[in-house]
Amino acid sequence: MVRPDSPHNYPGTLGHRPVAVQFHAGSHYVALRLLEGYLPNDKIKLVHFGSPQQRFEAMWRGEVDACVVMEPWIALGEKLGCKALCEGHYLGAENASDDMDEATFAAINRAVGKAIDLLNADKRRYLHYLIDDPRHAQALAKYGGLTPEDFHLPRLRYVKATPYTDEIVADTYHWMVRWGLIDSKASAADLVDNRIARAAATLADDA
Amino acid sequence: MKKVVSEISGAVFSLPWFIAKDHGLFEAEGIDMEFVRTRPSGAVPQTENPEAVNPILGHTAFEERRVSIYRA
Repeated sequence: MVRPDSPHNYPGTLGHRPVAVQFHAGSHYVALRLLEGYLPNDKIKLVHFGSPQQRFEAMWRGEVDACVVMEPWIALGEKLGCKALCEGHYLGAENASDDMDEATFAAINRAVGKAIDLLNADKRRYLHYLIDDPRHAQALAKYGGLTPEDFHLPRLRYVKATPYTDEIVADTYHWMVRWGLIDSKASAADLVDNRIARAAATLADDA
Repeated sequence: MKKVVSEISGAVFSLPWFIAKDHGLFEAEGIDMEFVRTRPSGAVPQTENPEAVNPILGHTAFEERRVSIYRA
């Protein structure tokens, strides 16, 4: 996302220009995946700025040419006239500790799955959770605030949890190795253990 | 009731979890769900070097085993 008066109108002019991300988080990986389609790798200039608010405000103040953010910062930026140059999506992950048992994980997934049905039936009804989140409610208000009507609903994609496929894990692993984000000696099989997720998904489906 | 403590970071990642808790869906499954919010990071040193940033980021509660699940 760029400022309303930014000369940038598509990602191809962002070469050697600073783009605010949070390293090792979704904004970092999505930025690389999007920008590598427009720019040679050595022209991509990502800068770690921390939280979505810090990234958004660095863009708004002009410290960086662009920032990578998720909702509700996209809705706020668009309300303020900022331009989205590109948009990407990624799979979320539930990360459980090694003492999480299958039955508990399946029960959690059933509850969250029912909530996803409620959410998808009427997304606007639940957007107050994004607007009123104490982490950023004051910051949103500072820029004029948001209402549920400010959000582009198709952007909010919630699906029921399923285990990552081996193909997705392998593709992501090789992409990370190519960018030097993971040790090439590491094995995907050693890094991802879907043991509980697979069993819990079966239990949740059976319920 | 089985006690589970979950980390909450970005609200957009946890939206269904908020709904599940407020609609009693965890309770109906026998889960006593508690949320622990990560603290927003303060000023961070800006860097272009990913290796200069701890990849754990704000997930310290999980690393310290104070929560048993988080999402990102």
